[in-house]
Amino acid sequence: MTCVLSTTFCDLSLHHAITMTQPPRLSSSAPRTLAEPRYQRPHRQRLDRLATSVITAGAFAVLAAILAIGIFLLWESLPLLAMDDMALINSLSPLAWGTLKAALAAMLFALPLALGAAVYTAMYMPARQRTRIKPLLEMMEAIPGVVIGFIAGLILAPWVERHLTVTLVLLVWLPASALVAGMLWHALHKRWRQRLPFSSAALWLIPWFALMVLLALWAAPLAEQYLLGEDLRRFLDLQLGIDYATRNAMIVGAAMGFAVIPSVYALAEDALSDVPPALLEGAQALGADRWQALWKVALPAAGPGIFSAVMIGAGRAVGETMIVLMASGNTALLSASPFEGMRSMAAAIAIEMPEAAPGSSNYHMLIFAALLLFGFTFVVNTLAETVRLRLRTRLKRMGGGA
Amino acid sequence: MTRIWPWLCAASVALSLFMLGLLLALLLTRGLGHFWPSTLEVATLDSGELIAGEAVRETALPQRDGKERLYFTANRDIDGARWRWVAIDSIASRQTPTKLLRLQRGPWGDFIGYLSAYEDGQQRLEGEAAWQALATALAAPANTRPPATLVLETADGQLIRQALADIHRAQRPNAMHPGEKLRYWAHGVWQFLSEGPRAANTGGGVWPAIFGTVLMVIVMSVIVMPFGVLAAIYLNEIAHQGRLTRLVRIGVRNLAGVPSIVYGVFGLGVFVYGIGSSVDQWFFEDTLPSPTFGTGGLLWASLTLALLTLPVVIVATEEGLARIPDSQREGAVALGATRLETLTRIVLPMAMPAMLTAVILAVARAAGEVAPLMLVGVAKLAPQMPLDGDFPYLHLERKFMHLGYHLFDTAFHGDDVQAAIPLVYATALLLVTIVLVLNLTAIFLRHYLRRQRGQPC
Repeated sequence: MTCVLSTTFCDLSLHHAITMTQPPRLSSSAPRTLAEPRYQRPHRQRLDRLATSVITAGAFAVLAAILAIGIFLLWESLPLLAMDDMALINSLSPLAWGTLKAALAAMLFALPLALGAAVYTAMYMPARQRTRIKPLLEMMEAIPGVVIGFIAGLILAPWVERHLTVTLVLLVWLPASALVAGMLWHALHKRWRQRLPFSSAALWLIPWFALMVLLALWAAPLAEQYLLGEDLRRFLDLQLGIDYATRNAMIVGAAMGFAVIPSVYALAEDALSDVPPALLEGAQALGADRWQALWKVALPAAGPGIFSAVMIGAGRAVGETMIVLMASGNTALLSASPFEGMRSMAAAIAIEMPEAAPGSSNYHMLIFAALLLFGFTFVVNTLAETVRLRLRTRLKRMGGGA
Repeated sequence: MTRIWPWLCAASVALSLFMLGLLLALLLTRGLGHFWPSTLEVATLDSGELIAGEAVRETALPQRDGKERLYFTANRDIDGARWRWVAIDSIASRQTPTKLLRLQRGPWGDFIGYLSAYEDGQQRLEGEAAWQALATALAAPANTRPPATLVLETADGQLIRQALADIHRAQRPNAMHPGEKLRYWAHGVWQFLSEGPRAANTGGGVWPAIFGTVLMVIVMSVIVMPFGVLAAIYLNEIAHQGRLTRLVRIGVRNLAGVPSIVYGVFGLGVFVYGIGSSVDQWFFEDTLPSPTFGTGGLLWASLTLALLTLPVVIVATEEGLARIPDSQREGAVALGATRLETLTRIVLPMAMPAMLTAVILAVARAAGEVAPLMLVGVAKLAPQMPLDGDFPYLHLERKFMHLGYHLFDTAFHGDDVQAAIPLVYATALLLVTIVLVLNLTAIFLRHYLRRQRGQPC
């Protein structure tokens, strides 16, 4: 019984499907050969339609989930409108300041290193070396934040506290020592210069820096004794009245800067190496040296790409949680001193959210902080991505035209 | 000027590499060095006091000239401390006696001193015979060991009694030759990977954390892969390639840049407080008010991380789909294939490697992520594994341990952080190794497949 029913039903629906898909003239007049397509094709097409709708449904589920994040954050921050403005500002402003301070410190540390590295890799490095060094630097991005935070908070911070002079001296001396190395190199005999070419300076400068660090470790305490007559930390504390916290903005800047370098570097390097070589060759043919060609031609051409790299880096620095949580001391202060800690919005969420009762004002405030982070990074990244895509098509056109 | 700037640029590459190398070298040496049986010494002070322990490091004295040395002296049950700073000037002599013993014990942490006797009911052994008996007893599996007691003597002559049952390992590092040390080291690494934590996470291993991480990542992949692949197929194969699709694509790409803690907030608010507590009210009313799904757990953590890794999967899969030449699809359609047949017979097999890359990248991202997990279900010490022999075997509502969170918690919330740091180094090394290996696999896979298909890399 069921069998009969199902076959008739099936036949009917098949027939229906055929009349739907075939032009009507064919099905009515010409006696069709009732070969296998009659039974197979409609089935295949139904499957096809089913699959398409499944795929579409899946895609829309994904979209809905993504939209749900924004809607949830907005909806749960709405009760804040009913709250006292002053209380909200009072509790949020130290967090916002801490976030900005941490991000600023990280960018100060990361931007010179990342952009300098990008320029050197794109402009001076031989192609073979570049294919090895670039993935190596990009690999830095894979190191989990929790590991960097641990090293910064528990190893680097106490070390810096014990060797404050050495650290401050190194910050100035390492870049300066690169210039010293450059001067020495220019003074070298030609044979030696060929043996240590500038194009591989990035590699032979590493042992040089190791040497310089050792030199600073030896010389800085002597200079400290000679000039100040006492420990720099005590000097800061007693003579200048500057507090020094073990986990401070300097440490956070270095740690988070380290985490931000690879993403800024990769994007900036891509932008620079997308500049059509014809442009640079033209500039050099007109008598510019390599740096002039870079400064006057490549940088303006790749400017928007570098801007988007910086934006993406800033977005990362603002939202990074574990590094700030572990390396900053988490004290909600409104101070600009690089020797004091801070508490960022992301760290505050990670600390307070598990304890905040759902529905309490603190809960809503933390969700508002998350909304701010979400909105900020979304806007910044969209801006960066649009700029990057537009630049890419422009550079392609330039390259094609030249 | 044109001579200065190139040098600074070269210096920034060199400095970045220098820092990366320093970080990896630090992790490698400290992480692996922790398991090496280091030399123990007995220092005789000017006052006549004897200190037995492992010399850790030296620093300058804060106020006056000279240096002081930090000893790890263990024996917390006897003098209440594990560490001792000693001014180097006050040390009269240092010896490294071969009989000096280091025990790894359950409740009180390490013991450093001498073995004076071994008692197991019938007999009392002393001297070298006691050490032999202890070594044979420890070589046997934990549940077959005799109920013996050790009489231990500290360096300054105090005697204590110690049950054999609480002892995990014993070593006399000063009497070991390099081969023995290497074997001891390998065994230590194995124990670290295969055992649970003990002594408030300052000793033992990280097996439950490895297990929890892997299980969470698997559940996450099962959730994220179908949706990510469907969305990528829709965006690349079905959707009309207009302005709207481009906008959606940029939006998806940007989600990868949204801070992970935001996903954690979403997971806590929607999954745990929203869906979880509703599920509790419908199905687990008898256990309320203690929550079943209304608190963080494996399922919610996996869902949150699935959301977090969705952009990674979509972007990587779409990249693979976009690389397939249109002529392949057109050929299939010209031969009469429907869209589904083109997809399953032509497009998806060709995009398989891209999807594999996607899942590896997603797993690498999820394995290193900690911040969102802190909100949705990771535990400092989970009493029960989320996978066991009780029906229904996979307990999605249980809390679980995670390598990254274990690292954070041990490093910042332990009662003796100083003693835990070597283990934290080892955990950090393990985490970095896992994530780097996963990333390298993805890179090589991508590289290999592109070359195989004759496309430029």
